[in-house]
Amino acid sequence: MVEELKSGEQRNKLIHAGQMHLVHWLIIFLSIVLTFSAWYYSKSQLNQKLEAKFQRNAEQVVNLVKERMGLYENALWGGVAFIDSVDNDITYTQWLAYSTSLKIDLVYPGINGIGIIYNVQLDQMADYMAKQLALRPDYSLHPNHQESEYWPITYVEPAAPNKKAIGLDMAFEANRYSSIKKARDTGQAQLTAPITLVQDAKKTPGFLFYTPFYQGGRKPENIEERRKSIVGVTYAPFIMKNLMQGTLAEQNRHVSIQISDAGELLFDDNSDEGTQDIDTNPLFSKEVDAELYGRVWKFLIQSNLSFREESTSNQSSFILIGGLTIDGLLLGLFLFLSRANRQALLYADEMTVALKSKTKHLEKSNSDLEQFSYIASHDLKSPLNAIKQLVGWIKEDCQDILPEDSKKHLNLLSQRSQRMMKLLNDLLDYSRINRDEFKNERVNLNDLSQDILQLLDIPQSFTFSAPDIDINIPQAPLEIVLRNLISNATKHHDKKSGHIVLSYDSNIEFHTFVIEDDGPGIPEEFHDKAMEMFQTLQSRDKVEGSGMGLAMIKRIVEHYQGSIAIDSDGERGTRVTIKWRLNTQ
Amino acid sequence: MLEKSKDVTLLLIEDDDVDAMTIERSFLKQRIANPIIRAYDGIEALELLRSRDITRPLVILLDLQMPRMGGLEFLKELRADENLLDLVVFVLTTSKSDEDMLSSYRQHIAGYFVKGEAGENFLDIVNVLDSYWKVVHLPG
Repeated sequence: MVEELKSGEQRNKLIHAGQMHLVHWLIIFLSIVLTFSAWYYSKSQLNQKLEAKFQRNAEQVVNLVKERMGLYENALWGGVAFIDSVDNDITYTQWLAYSTSLKIDLVYPGINGIGIIYNVQLDQMADYMAKQLALRPDYSLHPNHQESEYWPITYVEPAAPNKKAIGLDMAFEANRYSSIKKARDTGQAQLTAPITLVQDAKKTPGFLFYTPFYQGGRKPENIEERRKSIVGVTYAPFIMKNLMQGTLAEQNRHVSIQISDAGELLFDDNSDEGTQDIDTNPLFSKEVDAELYGRVWKFLIQSNLSFREESTSNQSSFILIGGLTIDGLLLGLFLFLSRANRQALLYADEMTVALKSKTKHLEKSNSDLEQFSYIASHDLKSPLNAIKQLVGWIKEDCQDILPEDSKKHLNLLSQRSQRMMKLLNDLLDYSRINRDEFKNERVNLNDLSQDILQLLDIPQSFTFSAPDIDINIPQAPLEIVLRNLISNATKHHDKKSGHIVLSYDSNIEFHTFVIEDDGPGIPEEFHDKAMEMFQTLQSRDKVEGSGMGLAMIKRIVEHYQGSIAIDSDGERGTRVTIKWRLNTQ
Repeated sequence: MLEKSKDVTLLLIEDDDVDAMTIERSFLKQRIANPIIRAYDGIEALELLRSRDITRPLVILLDLQMPRMGGLEFLKELRADENLLDLVVFVLTTSKSDEDMLSSYRQHIAGYFVKGEAGENFLDIVNVLDSYWKVVHLPG
């Protein structure tokens, strides 16, 4: 019953283990959440890093442009300083020398040239033209305009690429004219709004850079003074595209740039058809307003494809894919384990069913056998009884006429029938031994032994001793065991008198009974044989016996989970040790 | 009294010849003169009783295991028969089974003997019967 409960519990445990439980799902859910968090975290980290990088790039671009403009400003102020240092008007050769010494091509990439524009009032015009024509007969002003003053480009070096600009009057066009006036009025370097340079055949956007100089190298404090004493400006024309060459070239950037001035486009990577790097869906985008010499340039800076390429990191994807793979494996493992448990359960159930049917079969064949031996011995007894009776009558009736030999034969006949009766009775007993379950009783070993001695009719010449103690044990089977042992000890004794001792001991597991006699003993090679059914070690004609005694003892003792051991050297004395499991009931 | 006891007939219903002979021999040995009528099974016994070839007073000694009609079946028939239900029946059998014994007593038997326990040559039974009909009044 307890075992059944236990196995039921174990089975329930297996059933339990064979299912996916909340905790399994929770683990999987948590690990998925963890995976996504790690993915999200790493992605946002990456994004932050990228954004910082983009900001750096954008700043760098604006700073580079500012730096470059600062360099050009210096060159122009250098021109102003040179003019201020010369007392009379600068000659063409002097300016050529100055501009050549600047090494524009090398030092100032992006600049188209450096030149001087003089301010010429209407009344000074004849004088100015005369001076210029004296040195350069082909010099002419262009185009015509309605303004009351002139700002003609007088010199510009290198002259060859700027040929179209020489003699160009800045007053002809609003952007050029307003900025030059602003330069005059502020005394500061000034840029024009976007214009198209006359010398640019491609008509791309550009601008001019002016720095004013005044009479006598002075730096007047106010507008009136400045207007009164203005002489001209040093200037540099720029084609925007060229300005953005060098370190600002597209291949050196990870951002694409669009620069506009008051809504007019100055520069756009996009307009360049050769571009490969524009990202139609930029990762980052930024607008920066940069104040540059009286103008506000609006920079629209966007990350480009090379930025995307460089920033594309699979780290977070790896985390996501790796994490999800692990989650999948975990789920697989759980499913596999629960499946394995279910299979184990199935197998165990199958085995249980098989075992049960086997047990049932065994129990049935066992009970069949018992039934058979019971019926057989029962039915065999009645004809045997009849034989015995008839022999008795013949002896009775024919006492006077039977020859002596026949009388002897009749005696043998009745003796054999007697023996057969005993065999059948013992067989019957043997088959019935363990049919009934006996409860523990309080048994006094000495009292029980005395009863047995009386029943067996042991000769007075035999002495017997047993301990006078009470033990708890099923009485009926113990009695059969002791009776057979005592009977054996006296029956097989080879002398007229003998001594038999029963001793008892017990531990936590077993009762131990030892019966010792001083009979002839049993040779060791026959110890096993002695315990087989129907085996006798002496002729039945010498010692009456069915050969069932020890077999019966063995059957009883083994039923009570004990054992029997024979200890004898075959010369003198036999010692039989019976172990009988204590029943706690 | 003595006159009376001599009149009592024993109807022995027993298929085993040796058992029947044992009873007869014991009667002789004990010098019991009562007549013994033998039937081999229940059917034969019922025929005998119903034909009134057998005289009362009557005591029946019945075996349980017999061919054709066993003892328990015979008892059932006997007790169902208006003319026979008053008869005294002893059972003599090899069966020690409680079930057989209880079923027999339910049919109002006077005693239940087991063959193995009936003493040498059934002498115990024979003595009981002899004493029984010496002192007991039986229906005529």
